[in-house]
Amino acid sequence: MPQDMPPTGGYAQVQYKRNLPARGFKPVYYMIGMHMIMAYGFYKYFHGAREQRELAREKMWSRLHITPLLQAEEDRDQVRRHFADQARANELLGSDAKVYNSDRFVRPTFAYTPASVTQ
Amino acid sequence: MAQRDPRFNQHVLVDTTPMPDHIPKVEEIGATSAPLHSAAFYIGDRCRAFNDDYMKCKDEANGRGEIDCLKEGRKVTRCAASVLKDINTHCLDQFKSHWECLENNNHHLWECRKAEMNLSKCVFDKLGLKKTLPGAPEGQVPVHLRPKQKYAQYTGPQY
Repeated sequence: MPQDMPPTGGYAQVQYKRNLPARGFKPVYYMIGMHMIMAYGFYKYFHGAREQRELAREKMWSRLHITPLLQAEEDRDQVRRHFADQARANELLGSDAKVYNSDRFVRPTFAYTPASVTQ
Repeated sequence: MAQRDPRFNQHVLVDTTPMPDHIPKVEEIGATSAPLHSAAFYIGDRCRAFNDDYMKCKDEANGRGEIDCLKEGRKVTRCAASVLKDINTHCLDQFKSHWECLENNNHHLWECRKAEMNLSKCVFDKLGLKKTLPGAPEGQVPVHLRPKQKYAQYTGPQY
């Protein structure tokens, strides 16, 4: 019996490699593209942030300019109520009752409520 | 359910006793937030000295500023009232369109640059008051003079 030999011309190649087509661009191009998109985004972001900062400054200054005005109005109202409270205390107690051992202006803790509707 | 009237409301909490006679009277501004926001920079331009004076007085009054600085406070209010009166007599239309625009746009100044431009032009011509934005970076157009506003609903040039 003759020995078992390879076929004439040798065996066929064993296909151990995957034969998948490489789709698309090289990965480095995707990397570059991603960075370009991000660079554009950051460019827009920084310009927007700068404008936002300026708008915030504008808003702050507009409020700074009218703060003394609003404060003056509030102070006058507080002083008016303070004098009214003092007058009532004088009338009821006969003397000005000093609550705090200090000459600072203290906003009253309890508000006077008129007995009848005043407005 | 039985209807019950509320026992507490805001009416009875207001003390309406007037100011004593020895303190001079001053008429309050009475403007709402939008006109004040619109006129703030012109008030700041004309009344800078009074405002600074008042804030300095309050700072140095050692906690008694409310009573001791009434005089300075009256000056501040009178000055601001004079600015509003002048704007109302000379630039009423532009002023009104600007603050109504602010009122309709959530008080966003950047939505109303066109009305603001008209107002500032009129105010500068008639009253000589100018809107300046201190502390802005060098070499840039100040944000209130840029026709395009990035955060406006319409991002194109507003005027």
